[in-house]
Amino acid sequence: MNAHTPLRIGSSYVAALRAKLPHAVLEERWQTDRQATITVKLEALPEAVRTLYYVHDGWFSTMAGNDERGLNGTYGLYYVLSMGGAEKCHMVIHAQVPEDKPEFPAVTPLVPAAVWYEREVRDMFGLEPVGLPDARRLVLPDDWPDGLYPLRKDSMDYRFRPAPTTDAENYPFINDAKQETTVVPLGPLHVTSDEPGHFRLFVDGEDIIDADYRMFYVHRGMEKLAETRMGYHDVTFLADRVCGICGYAHSVAYANSVENALGIVVPERGQAIRSILLETERLHSHLLNLGLACHFVGFDSGFMQFFRVREKTMMLAEMLTGHRKTYSMNLIGGVRRDILAEQKLTTLKTLGELRCEVRRLVDILLSTPNIGGRVTNVGRLDPKVARDHSPVGPVLRGSGFRRDTRADHPFAGYLSGATPINVQTGCDVLSRTLVRVSEVFDSMAIIENLLNDTPAGPILTEDFTYTPYKFALGFTEAPRGEDIHWSMLGDNQKLYRWRCRASTYNNWPVLRHMLRGNTVSDAPLIVASIDPCYSCTDRVTVVDVKKSTTKTVAYKEMERYCRERTSSPLK
Amino acid sequence: MLPDLPHLALAGFQATALLAAAPLVSGFARVMRAKMHNRQGPGLLQDYRDIVKLMQRQEVWPPDSGWVFKAMPMLVMAVLLVIATGTPIFTLAPPIHVMGDLVLSIYLYALARFFLSLSGIDSGSSFAGIGASRELTVGVLVEPTMLLSLFVAALLAGSTDEGAIATAIANGHMQSAGAAVLAGLAFAFGVYVELGKLPYDMAEAEQELQEGPLTEYSGPSLALLKWALALKQTLVVGWFVGLFLPFGASADLSIDGVFNGALAFALKALVIFAIVGVLSNAVARVRFRFTPRHSWAGVGVASLAFVFYLVGV
Repeated sequence: MNAHTPLRIGSSYVAALRAKLPHAVLEERWQTDRQATITVKLEALPEAVRTLYYVHDGWFSTMAGNDERGLNGTYGLYYVLSMGGAEKCHMVIHAQVPEDKPEFPAVTPLVPAAVWYEREVRDMFGLEPVGLPDARRLVLPDDWPDGLYPLRKDSMDYRFRPAPTTDAENYPFINDAKQETTVVPLGPLHVTSDEPGHFRLFVDGEDIIDADYRMFYVHRGMEKLAETRMGYHDVTFLADRVCGICGYAHSVAYANSVENALGIVVPERGQAIRSILLETERLHSHLLNLGLACHFVGFDSGFMQFFRVREKTMMLAEMLTGHRKTYSMNLIGGVRRDILAEQKLTTLKTLGELRCEVRRLVDILLSTPNIGGRVTNVGRLDPKVARDHSPVGPVLRGSGFRRDTRADHPFAGYLSGATPINVQTGCDVLSRTLVRVSEVFDSMAIIENLLNDTPAGPILTEDFTYTPYKFALGFTEAPRGEDIHWSMLGDNQKLYRWRCRASTYNNWPVLRHMLRGNTVSDAPLIVASIDPCYSCTDRVTVVDVKKSTTKTVAYKEMERYCRERTSSPLK
Repeated sequence: MLPDLPHLALAGFQATALLAAAPLVSGFARVMRAKMHNRQGPGLLQDYRDIVKLMQRQEVWPPDSGWVFKAMPMLVMAVLLVIATGTPIFTLAPPIHVMGDLVLSIYLYALARFFLSLSGIDSGSSFAGIGASRELTVGVLVEPTMLLSLFVAALLAGSTDEGAIATAIANGHMQSAGAAVLAGLAFAFGVYVELGKLPYDMAEAEQELQEGPLTEYSGPSLALLKWALALKQTLVVGWFVGLFLPFGASADLSIDGVFNGALAFALKALVIFAIVGVLSNAVARVRFRFTPRHSWAGVGVASLAFVFYLVGV
């Protein structure tokens, strides 16, 4: 679509980069009007990301590694920044890592938000982030053989299961506490989490001094699967299954990424239907979280009542999509089912009932004795920590930042109207809960507006052809925050690379900061307040923490390495 | 002085009846809870079925545990049965006179709590350990309320014998009605905390501590422990009813009188547990570090009862 309107929103950032780092910018490519990929020299990578992040109000969205040896003899690294300044757009910093020297200067010491991504790319591609203090694996299990990098094109078949190399658990959990602490293990299986994640709380009495955690126990290898055996259209259905709650957001993000790459214009009615379903998904997801918040403070009556009301949203989803979880509705180019006039009326009626019931329940919840004491000032996410780590969704908005993909980077049915952004400044569990409460009501209003002025017309376009090696980003605002996918098409009716990042992936690293200084009894509540989605995060592998305050490798040393590219400080 | 045969028979009957009814009490709490949740829930007799089922299961001990851990369910059950023979519940006078002293009752409950906490520490589980320390802290926090309110009642009746207190209240022979009512209120608060129900179920908080001291128990031990905790709930309510609401309790040992007393207790307990059921399901769990604020209120009311006693209101 940029053929007709070469707006190129964000070109000022490219100009600023060229000015800041003369000669380092090698190439700029525009995927859409608001999406540019800027190739920089490898040694300029950390500084380029830092400049966009801190100087131009960029937020770390995702990073994709890509084995492009078959295309140009290098590994590609794509650092994606969502620009929150005057020109809202996505800037992708691309650097090429030579095949014979698989290492790159780590961005993490300058931008802490990159830490999980760089650990993951080391696990999956064997690219060493030089200067990254955390040497632990993130995604790969303890018993995975060294030197086997799953996402390299020549490493392994997707069905291959290497034999375990050790029986011992050798993952070191980090404890920065000064005094003696007791270890309280939460997980990998725990009554309050339905999915596996291992939290180690280091406590003194009841107070949490420090915490560390490990995820990726249920890594499903979806990216490898998509690249090796599924066609383009199959991946929309696979993407649904990334999450059991917010799967539809993933398939919209995936379809969106391919549509952006090929310049496909989805019919307006299809776009509106996507938004209606995304909001339906947000309704049932937020009501789930509100119920769980009650459960974790011991108010099970509230939990049951929220789930009773939530059932209506599930029935709504079933009526609109034929599936309680809004699955299997997307195709590249649009959606598979239209919303009929009768369904529209039923939806509007159900929303009316829902609004009354949720309003009543929320009033009951907020006036229940003790609730205030349980959630106020618990699990504080300091805005400074949030700025450094780029969390997303209600976690970020509960700390006072006005960021919402639906408003910042409009897509699907959000292109027309202004989407309200709900912000709370308390930084605690209460704020995050209140953000979700407001969003429930907003979602109902958005669905009503979209239903009332849905444009007529087709819901799907099939008027396009696939072009190999085109790539782009696709994004949605899932209930838990931004989901972002980076897809590159292949020449065999399959994807060359699919990088799928769930919102919770960006929210895990700040959790450690939220847990510190609270008590053991608040831990499950705090974990629940980021509304975590273990298996989404786990789609690939690994874990970490220990950033913002630590620089194990001196910055000077790294800078020297960036300049000279010799004698890596990690060897 | 050894108790005579009728008193022994009454003690045996009261302890057996309460033990048999205990799972009914916890089952009733579950039914109430389900009603408050708008769900079908288990039947009234579910806890009997649970106990039978657990009795048939294998017992698993944590490797780090010692004899305290293994003996605890037995010890707690034994202590509670001793209390059941001494508290005046069906009758105005304690079945076994020497066991019916309120100082003794208070310390028998403390003994049960002591072993419960010790087993939590002995289990080697960090959740059970935190639950144990919470159990002790809660004990320390509610004990002043219970002691003070009971002492006011004892002063009013002129004796620490529970039978004398019950008789005095039943006959309205109190120097100060205001003091008696306030002491009753403070004691009711203490009893509510002792019940271990929301918002004060800190030690066993499922979401926070995975049931605290109970975490590591399994099979027959768990069955015995659950049974004992249900018995404890029945007993503390019986304690409260016996001392401060003794109306309908039998004044003699006639068979009719005792049965009527048991029936009266059952009705009173039903009302109390229904109120408890509504209260405990309408609130969230209090944050553990805020518990002292609540218990100080209890101490305040008990102190006020003492002041009322002094000025004779």
